[in-house]
Amino acid sequence: MKIFWAFTRQAFHGSTVYRFEFWMRLFFVYMLMYSIYWVWTTLYTQTPGAFGVSLEQMVTYGILGMALEIFLDVGPEWYITTQVRTGAIDTDLMKPLDFHLHMLARSAGEMMFSLGVLALPSFAIGYYLFDLRLPGDMTTSLLFAVSLIFSFFVFFHISFLLGALTVITLDIRSISWAYYSLVSFFSGQIVPLWLFPDLLRKISEVLPFQAIYYIPMSIYIKTLSGGAALQALGVQVFWAIVLVLFSRWAWSRVHARLTIQGG
Amino acid sequence: MIQVEHLTKDYQRVKRREGFLGGVRTLISPQYETTRAVDDISFRIEEGELVGYIGPNGAGKSTSIKMLCGILVPTSGKIEVNGLVPHKERMVNARQIGAVFGQKTQLWWDVPVIESLRLFRDIYNVPEAQFKRNLNLFNDLLDLHEFQNTPVRQLSLGQRMRADMAAALLHNPRILFLDEPMIGVDVVAKERLRVFIKEINRDQKVTALFTTHDMVDIEKLCSRVMIIDHGRVVYDGSLDQMRTQYGKDRTLVVEFEENIPDFVPPHAALVKSEGRKKWFIFNRFETSPSTLIAYISSQFPIVDLAVEEPEIEKIVRTIYQGNTGETEGKHA
Repeated sequence: MKIFWAFTRQAFHGSTVYRFEFWMRLFFVYMLMYSIYWVWTTLYTQTPGAFGVSLEQMVTYGILGMALEIFLDVGPEWYITTQVRTGAIDTDLMKPLDFHLHMLARSAGEMMFSLGVLALPSFAIGYYLFDLRLPGDMTTSLLFAVSLIFSFFVFFHISFLLGALTVITLDIRSISWAYYSLVSFFSGQIVPLWLFPDLLRKISEVLPFQAIYYIPMSIYIKTLSGGAALQALGVQVFWAIVLVLFSRWAWSRVHARLTIQGG
Repeated sequence: MIQVEHLTKDYQRVKRREGFLGGVRTLISPQYETTRAVDDISFRIEEGELVGYIGPNGAGKSTSIKMLCGILVPTSGKIEVNGLVPHKERMVNARQIGAVFGQKTQLWWDVPVIESLRLFRDIYNVPEAQFKRNLNLFNDLLDLHEFQNTPVRQLSLGQRMRADMAAALLHNPRILFLDEPMIGVDVVAKERLRVFIKEINRDQKVTALFTTHDMVDIEKLCSRVMIIDHGRVVYDGSLDQMRTQYGKDRTLVVEFEENIPDFVPPHAALVKSEGRKKWFIFNRFETSPSTLIAYISSQFPIVDLAVEEPEIEKIVRTIYQGNTGETEGKHA
């Protein structure tokens, strides 16, 4: 646990260096929130009642998606790629740390930092400028918070797996780009899954990506509540476990390759 | 402390084919080529030794150090580091060793040095008292306080190396691997690092394996030298022994009273002639300096003279070259 805090401290020191980037990102979030707000408002005035939820819920959903992206933008894949390409991965393997846990601590530390410094301000922007609603009751807030932890967990492990893949391919840009396009679609980050055509909805429901955005955000706007919310949490837990096991297995293979063939 | 027996390491690299289709074929059915980086080396290092590990670029020094750290798995052979097999118990081994890689930093790029050290403290579970004691030591010997609040990316190379050295020793490792820690460091900073390494080795009995290209480092620090070339140990012994074994030649520098024509005394050769000075090279097993001086002074009046030992760099060069001729056939 101490290590997690240590990495949070580290992330704080690392990120405060880039003040310009910080303001750019807040500005970027603001722009994205604005466009989402505007798109849904226009669509609702043209065809009210076609989307299954109220405009407030929909706007809240969309804006939350943007705030969460900031919160989750801490995957280790870029770090792993850089370390492997420059050969600095040696210095990571020099440390008496399990590589998977090391990366988890690192990402969790950065996540706690970005939660405080970027996600909460984005949330505040959403609340004051764009009508982001608060969940209102304790149960929903609590479910949302728990769901968010698993959302991070699932996101982290998929990113970790991508990073592990780069040890073999040595390049991540094209994969990463394709991946993020897929994720923002299948995770329901921008358009909620219930608006998908049947086939696409079925596909997204068997993929792990819904656990990242769709589930916590639906819990927040209460389209998933009570038993359905618990069931959705179950889906998240399932994916978290599967991905942890798969990540550990994949990294042991990659590590062997790295150490046997040479970096 | 360190035991290495018949250690061999082969690298497998994917052979890339030319062109776009070649790239696709490489992905589908990769062809591997094997290079032998370390070829059947054996040695023992006792506790408290400070061993210089030298050899030309690509000789296999870094590869063997990585195996000792548990980062690479040997193809064959045995390694034991203080009773542990590094690649099998990488994480336990990591706690008893420290390493400085001159080419890379272990510190975090964007954070102040002191923050990096605090993170090291947490990672290695260094008790607070020990952490404070070590920081004081590093302040005394490395002047760490001068730049402890500077982010690593703003440090000069010499400062960065000092910071890396502090990070490697924070958890009081029993064994220290130094892989070209002096690379690109200026003379003053170098001297400071040398003093530091020497004190750590003497006071804390830290065993060290030290890779360098600077023979002054070896002369000032190491009691023992291992020379590796083409993946093989070509010399292992004391520095003095290396001098006697390979440095048979001495140079006699003589300054005469006046310009005199070149001449060759028995069992010696004239290598240089400049104004009133002449340089003679001789094998000290064939003739002694006194015989030589007696002979020369009987011919011409001498003003001044000096006998020069061969530079260690020259000896090492002789060993590298001798070895190239010998082993080239096996690797071609």
